[in-house]
Amino acid sequence: MTAELSSPDPASAAPPAVLRRRSSSGGGGLGRYILVRFLLIIPTVFILVTLVFLLMRTTGDPITAALGGKLTGPQLQERIHEAGYDRPLIVQYLEYLGNIVTGNFGSTLSDNRPVTQVLLTYGGATLELAFYALIVAFIVGIPLGMVAAYFRDRAPDAFLRIFAILCYATPVFFAGLLLKLVFAVWLQVLPVAGRASTGAELQMQFLQSKTGIYLIDALQTGNPEVIGDVLSHAVLPGVALGLLTAGVFLRLVRTNLIGTLGTDYVDSARSRGVTEFRLVRKHAYRPALIPIITVIGLQIALLLGGAVLTETTFEWKGLGFQLAHYLQARDFVAVQGIVALLAVIVAVTNFIVDIIAALIDPRVRY
Amino acid sequence: MRSASTRTTRVVASLAGTAAVALVLAGCSGGSTGGSTSGSAITIGTTDKVTVLDPAGSYDNGSFAVMNQVFPFLMNTPYGSPDVEPDIAESAEFTSPTEYTVKLKPGLKFANGNDLTSSDVKFTFDRQVAINDENGPASLLYNLDSVAAPDDTTVVFTLKSADDQVFPQILSSPAGPIVDEDVFSATELTSDEDIVAGKAFAGQYEITNYDFNNLISYKAFDGYEGVLGAAKSDQINVKYYADSSNLKLDIQEGNIDVAFRSLSATDIDDLKGNDKVKVVDGPGGEIRYIVFNFDTQPFGAKTPEADPAKALAVRQAVADLIDRDEIADQVYKGTYTPLYSYVPAGLTGATESLKAPYGDGNGGPDADKAKSTLEAAGVTGPVELSLQYSNDHYGPSSGDEYALIKDQLESSGLFTVNLETTEWVQYSKDRTTDVYPAYQLGWFPDYSDADNYLTPFFLTENFLANHYDNPAVNDLILKQAVTTDPAERTAIIEQIQDAVAADLSTVPYLQGAQVAVTGTTIEGTSDTLDASFKFRYGALTKG
Amino acid sequence: MTATTAQTRPKRSLVSRIPLFEQVRSSIGLQRGMLIAGVVITGVFVLTAVFAPLLAPYGFAQLRSDGTPFGAQEAPNAEHLLGTTVGGYDVLSRVIWGAQTAILTIVVSVILSIFAGIFLGLVSGYIGGWLDRVLVVVCDAIYAFPSLLLAIVMSIVISGGRSDLFGGILAASISITVVFIPQYFRVIRAETVRIKSEAYVESAKVIGTRAPRIVFRHVLRNATRSLPLLLTLNSSEALLTLAGLGFLGFGIEPTAAAEWGYDLNKSLSDVTSGIWWTSLFPGLAIVLAVLGITLLGESLNDLADPRLRGRRAALDTGAPTPDNGAEPHGAGATGESIVADDASTADDEERVS
Repeated sequence: MTAELSSPDPASAAPPAVLRRRSSSGGGGLGRYILVRFLLIIPTVFILVTLVFLLMRTTGDPITAALGGKLTGPQLQERIHEAGYDRPLIVQYLEYLGNIVTGNFGSTLSDNRPVTQVLLTYGGATLELAFYALIVAFIVGIPLGMVAAYFRDRAPDAFLRIFAILCYATPVFFAGLLLKLVFAVWLQVLPVAGRASTGAELQMQFLQSKTGIYLIDALQTGNPEVIGDVLSHAVLPGVALGLLTAGVFLRLVRTNLIGTLGTDYVDSARSRGVTEFRLVRKHAYRPALIPIITVIGLQIALLLGGAVLTETTFEWKGLGFQLAHYLQARDFVAVQGIVALLAVIVAVTNFIVDIIAALIDPRVRY
Repeated sequence: MRSASTRTTRVVASLAGTAAVALVLAGCSGGSTGGSTSGSAITIGTTDKVTVLDPAGSYDNGSFAVMNQVFPFLMNTPYGSPDVEPDIAESAEFTSPTEYTVKLKPGLKFANGNDLTSSDVKFTFDRQVAINDENGPASLLYNLDSVAAPDDTTVVFTLKSADDQVFPQILSSPAGPIVDEDVFSATELTSDEDIVAGKAFAGQYEITNYDFNNLISYKAFDGYEGVLGAAKSDQINVKYYADSSNLKLDIQEGNIDVAFRSLSATDIDDLKGNDKVKVVDGPGGEIRYIVFNFDTQPFGAKTPEADPAKALAVRQAVADLIDRDEIADQVYKGTYTPLYSYVPAGLTGATESLKAPYGDGNGGPDADKAKSTLEAAGVTGPVELSLQYSNDHYGPSSGDEYALIKDQLESSGLFTVNLETTEWVQYSKDRTTDVYPAYQLGWFPDYSDADNYLTPFFLTENFLANHYDNPAVNDLILKQAVTTDPAERTAIIEQIQDAVAADLSTVPYLQGAQVAVTGTTIEGTSDTLDASFKFRYGALTKG
Repeated sequence: MTATTAQTRPKRSLVSRIPLFEQVRSSIGLQRGMLIAGVVITGVFVLTAVFAPLLAPYGFAQLRSDGTPFGAQEAPNAEHLLGTTVGGYDVLSRVIWGAQTAILTIVVSVILSIFAGIFLGLVSGYIGGWLDRVLVVVCDAIYAFPSLLLAIVMSIVISGGRSDLFGGILAASISITVVFIPQYFRVIRAETVRIKSEAYVESAKVIGTRAPRIVFRHVLRNATRSLPLLLTLNSSEALLTLAGLGFLGFGIEPTAAAEWGYDLNKSLSDVTSGIWWTSLFPGLAIVLAVLGITLLGESLNDLADPRLRGRRAALDTGAPTPDNGAEPHGAGATGESIVADDASTADDEERVS
């Protein structure tokens, strides 16, 4: 399940170690830290883009992928030659870099669409799914984490911790299968897959200002049936992906609450006779929230980072879904474009998270 | 439970209703109104994938399925027949051995109001050749020398080789959709958006809304005057799925009216027992076969123990041992049927050339026969055979299919099969460079003619590159292509199949059926599940 | 501090040297329950893998016994306790054999990640300078790469797209390795940088002892606290990636090995047709295996962390705090290390004094 997330562990988000542990060397201040940290985005993206470029070229070309079952060997070779895929790798690489620098991401090779358009269209869908998933994660993860911390080492805690581990241990395609079976087939209360039913999609198609984010489009139609339809389609994928993140939140909240519950600040409150429940809810919660906020930033990056399996399971036509498809078609240009976008999002989110961390805790700084 | 589902249906219906109103409004503002046929919109679900709408830029089933609805052809197959007739043409014939002349019907128009004249036809084929896109079908026009448009309704194709009997078929193939010269670019691919916005359609339908690989809405085009007749339903929506199990659930729950291509065998088997849907099938053009590389197969020409007789015996033993019925039943549950020749059943000239000579003579396997065949050729001990299949190109069941074939070959004690699978791109490269001694392939036809199942495979220079070389077969194939008398041509085609069956360049074993699953109120499905292998939405009606 | 406790504590009995024995003994209540559950599930998983040839009623690629085919999608019955799959395999046998494939993948990926990660972390931390900076940036970048995408590409690159047992296992292992190297790297590197600047290393240099050896020894000793969790995480990720690959159709050829993700993929359409046994059992196998490994890792981590162990147990032993570079799924992200820093800094000082 986690395998699908771009970087499985938000610990990655911890600022690069090179910056983190050098606190003693001092100097520079926040401004310098932000600048250096910002500049580090460039090599990160560059490395990823290069990696993808090289890896994709070793996996074959889009022409063979599409027409290997139709054309003869020489015919394929001729087409490959015409398209220039047999030129030296370094030439193709430099050309690609040149294009990127000038902002030209090219058109996809398999279906002839501008990459920027692909990114915009499917990015919206992925963003929307990430949004629903985060809501589920919040609603489920944070209160349950507080409950677990409150009942620490007692039955509810054990139950919730196992629940959190199960969230992580269940592959999303298996969870999706079960969810679909229960809610769509047996109970018939929710749709099977997709982002909206045909009727609702048609209505949204005729909007002047289509955003591609169905929730916004549905609100624009002002038709409650369309809004309901879009929301009902969002439930299962939102829950499947959200529970994965909810497990993370649950553990995070629990761990940090237990940590803060043991601090002097809470101890003194406890000695003043504040009830244990109130302690959890008021006193310990706030300090524990800070790490959670940082993790949320990371989770956004992770959710955007290619929910390949979630999107595939639920026909949610977003970036992860397209990534898998373009990979199969060996569409270098499309895969490079999508991965570059993901790299930028992840790098920028990490940057923002680091800056927030630095603002909260000056020791993190350079 | 029930109430929930009916409520959903009602919501969907009301949504579809408002959408239909919107569509009609949009249609009116566009200047043309739909046909007079009744019935509400039909929603079709498919797992096809579209790449580009431009006929010059795609050569895949998913895109061609769309083109068949919206673009006219000069030649096309009417419902229920594998043979081509003039579509938007009045006549089409050889006026000299190398000149094929097509007369268009007068007064044809595109949905955008532009005239459809011979100039558009010339433009269509000229750009197809000029663009020669790397993903396009231009290579099908191998025999086309030039196109001329002497007047508004006459088109003259000058061919390189004379009396090409396949050329009319090619006009119905992916290289054949006629496009509007005022909308399409002569030198590069035209984007889907421009095509839809330019309404460059003149088939049974025009596209009113195009959400790439998600949802396409069609409206009947009343200016179509071709062989298929006017579309029977006014509104068609096509939903694109990536996962066939979602498609299956949606047809089962009544969220869509038709599911066509591709449900898994298990799904179809299950839906057959469901009263709420109908399962309709027709002949399919897809075939599966095992290719033998004549150089590298056991006892092949480039192996240390090269021996043509033993090599042939090995192929014959495989043909003896394969239990086609078991594969069709167990793995495909009848969605594929046993295939005993190179040309699939349903096409003109199809035989059952492999049935009598191999196995028990009735289509079943015969281990004793295989054993004696091998012994007669002097092959002793189990033959070690490396068998390759593609796990990602021919559907999800290939793994089970080949596990069963391995099992069938091995349980006779005559073979030790080393089964391997490789992802498609590498597979395509390896198979033509003699890496695989024996391997799986499938074929989807470009046009419904026996030629398309013979020429690519059994000429000396062929698509398989398996070093099969039989000059007699080669000559016969070239001869049938220029034989003008249909009966004579059919006889030659049958002769070719018998000859190849004796050589066993490949062992064909399965033919895919076309299967559509529809709601109980949908009629007309069986009309279009024919040997043209083109699924026309225009045949469907919703009662 | 680990060093000091080890010296002052009386020599441990032979029994207590059995791995995990000490941990189980020192745990209490809920924690003990979770640890034992983790040990048991993981143990069953490993034993199943080892004794698969004895346990499984049939071979993983067996389609018929005594000449009669099993038949496809047979419901569970006396001959096939968990039924047969769409391809006509015995579900129980494939679930059991699947454990073997899973374990192999885990072992290969863990070995690869550990060696590469530790080596790079030590080198980077010890040498420092530009090499260090470059490695850190590269590691951070690779970390952002979608691991499943990497796995898919790897499966094509490594085996030339051939889905045999070896290729499938290597694809899942290497892609997971690539994603996990940065994590080992981060932990080891941080330790190395810290220990390198410690007084005793400086003095060792002065005396002429080879400093790298000292650093290496200390780093490894200290890092063993956080490595177990990282190891279990690594293992479960490897398993999930293997399953994900199989599910997306890049898995292992079914006659080459049994693989749960592949079987799940093949059983997708069974589920909607009411055939539940083909997907449920491989799915449960994945969930249980990951659950067991994660329970084990989490409990070990809790036991090593005074803030998280049981209240009474925390008072008994002043066990060291782990470096929080290695929490599952963000539980140890930036934020937490801020909270935890106080504890671990104090601990560190105590350890070196």
